Amino acid sequence: MSGFWSTVFNADFVFAIFRITAPILFAALGAIIAEKAGVTNIGLDGMMSISALFGTLISYWTQSWLVGVLGAVLVGMILGLMMGFFALRLRTDIILTGIAMNMLGGGGTIFLLYMFTGLRGNTSSLSSPNILIPTLNIPVLKDIPVLGSIFSGHSVLTYLAFILVFVVRFMLNRTSTGLNIRAVGENSDAARSVGISVKRVQYIALIMSGALAGFGGAFMSMYYSQSWNVGMIAGRGFIALAAEAMGRSQPVGAMFSSLIFGFAQALETRVSGIQGVSSFLVAAIPYLVTIIGLVVFVWSSRRKADKRRRQISTSDWE
Amino acid sequence: MKKFLMTLLSLIMVVAMVASCAPSTPAKPTDPATTQAPDASEPGGEEPTEPAGKVYKVVNLVNGTLGDRSFFDSAEAGLAELAAAGRISYRTIEMGGDDEDQPKWLSTLYEVSESGEYDLIVCGTYQMPDYLNEVAAEYPDQKYLIYDSEGDGDNIVNINYKQNDMGYLVGVFAGAMTLETDLNNINDKSVVGFVGGIDSPVINDFLYGFLLGAQYANEDIKVDTRYVNSYVDPARAKELALSMINDNGCDIIWGVAGNSGNGAAEAALETGKAWFIGVDSDQELTLSKELAAITLTSGLKNIGNSIVWFFDELDAGREHYGENILLGIPEGGVGIVTDKNYATYATDEIKALVAEATEGIVNGSIEVPTAIGDTTGAAESLRDSLQP
Repeated sequence: MSGFWSTVFNADFVFAIFRITAPILFAALGAIIAEKAGVTNIGLDGMMSISALFGTLISYWTQSWLVGVLGAVLVGMILGLMMGFFALRLRTDIILTGIAMNMLGGGGTIFLLYMFTGLRGNTSSLSSPNILIPTLNIPVLKDIPVLGSIFSGHSVLTYLAFILVFVVRFMLNRTSTGLNIRAVGENSDAARSVGISVKRVQYIALIMSGALAGFGGAFMSMYYSQSWNVGMIAGRGFIALAAEAMGRSQPVGAMFSSLIFGFAQALETRVSGIQGVSSFLVAAIPYLVTIIGLVVFVWSSRRKADKRRRQISTSDWE
Repeated sequence: MKKFLMTLLSLIMVVAMVASCAPSTPAKPTDPATTQAPDASEPGGEEPTEPAGKVYKVVNLVNGTLGDRSFFDSAEAGLAELAAAGRISYRTIEMGGDDEDQPKWLSTLYEVSESGEYDLIVCGTYQMPDYLNEVAAEYPDQKYLIYDSEGDGDNIVNINYKQNDMGYLVGVFAGAMTLETDLNNINDKSVVGFVGGIDSPVINDFLYGFLLGAQYANEDIKVDTRYVNSYVDPARAKELALSMINDNGCDIIWGVAGNSGNGAAEAALETGKAWFIGVDSDQELTLSKELAAITLTSGLKNIGNSIVWFFDELDAGREHYGENILLGIPEGGVGIVTDKNYATYATDEIKALVAEATEGIVNGSIEVPTAIGDTTGAAESLRDSLQP
């Protein structure tokens, strides 16, 4: 059993949590911005798949990982704009538009891949080390025993994902764009009455959402996996939506719920290597952890609400 | 106006449907045998004097797209070989592999069966039997071939592969290689790894052979077995492989998980502490240069060879319709890659050991049990007992 604890809870394990969390976190932030503007973006999975493909292709063409990542983000933004065009201009239902985006991410990517490269299925023959996102060894930190092996040596995008949590929080709470986004999401009529262009704000939100999905896609095909293949996002865009909901559409909350998903998957990976543990049981771990997380979340928010109610009622007495 | 438009639209649809049903011109120039093709769907046994040089008309239904560098390409290559030898004329229909494409699989099957112009309809993979069974029952005179899966009907020949034999060869190789500590990346632990797609009988059939073969080569072997639960999630396979390498000291990992398997190769490459073994097709040819460099060999399922074998049998007057054929090493159905990295890194003793195992399976002195249809759970308990 001591062997179990040392394989499950070591520096590698914690390191893996961050690696698993990063792509979910990017998409969860994208989900938050769209949600705040009142345009639920359930097309994140498809957006990630398409931008992951273009990330790989662009980096291959230019032989530069940086251009590849920027290309993936740009493609994500274009996809956001496209969703906006259909949902806001042509007035299609935003949920259906998201579903269409996910379908495009499934079948459309195969077509695009074939059109551009003649390959079908995957790009594993194109990959080479110089077009993958590099990892960053942080000077002083990397020499500290345990902390160094946990926090140093991640990919550039992993760090960016966690930095973006606070950038997005700042953007939503402190900038006029963010305040406009929130105003539009809370009550679009009220926002319109004070002269905010609702459509414009929603376009901006969807484009930002797409950009974040683009980062997530690039992470998937240019670092996590070294090539793109059909279906490789494997539902991470949907997990991100769950993380967004569990985090109550707050960037920091979504970060923690994404970390819970990351923890669950890292745990699943380790537990499946233990003798005599059924792989079917192991496969249920992420779902179990999610349910437990939700229960804890509901319980704590209830308690908070109760407390607040009690405070209000006592203040009434005074 | 509206009525006119509706009529016009439905006319266009009808024309389009007829056009898509219309037979494409066969690749081969027509000769007497092909023009008679529609009648040839009668049981060939009634015409035993038929010349061996008969040109069969075949249609190859791909429930995905070509270019997978695996099953579909292999089947296509086998058919191309037969066509080049002038033994068949064939046409390939790519039906797409997505969920949304699935309705097309059934309708295409109906279409080509209804046309009656093919002597044989070829399809494959575990996703097709349900559709095939439905259609084959409706067209009892039409002949079908399904590879790597099993349909049900007197007019269907089922071709499967002894992946347990293939796994055995790979296991012998891996079990012996993990002792070669002089080689880069090979550590002193006798631990190898297996990343499977899904904990299912077919995947466990590969595994069962692998475990037994590894034990044959190395008594003290431990095999770390984990499943991705997806065939298209390389990132997850990579997580598993990283844990196998870092936590348990696996130095050779066999990935039997479709696209996911590539993730295990990436983990081996990134840690610089392990080697990878591919599956189904020669993955040294399909992976990137860097990944191919750490791929020691691949276990092969030669769909193409098996289709050629089927026509050899047919020309020899042996029909296998209604049978479940299991092809192994002698028929070229399965095998292991023995050139490139294998030739470079394997010592002469290991090559001899693998050759000995191959020989043993062919002459029957080694019998590899199968995990398919096995209800005793022998494969699973062996798996659990070898888990480090």
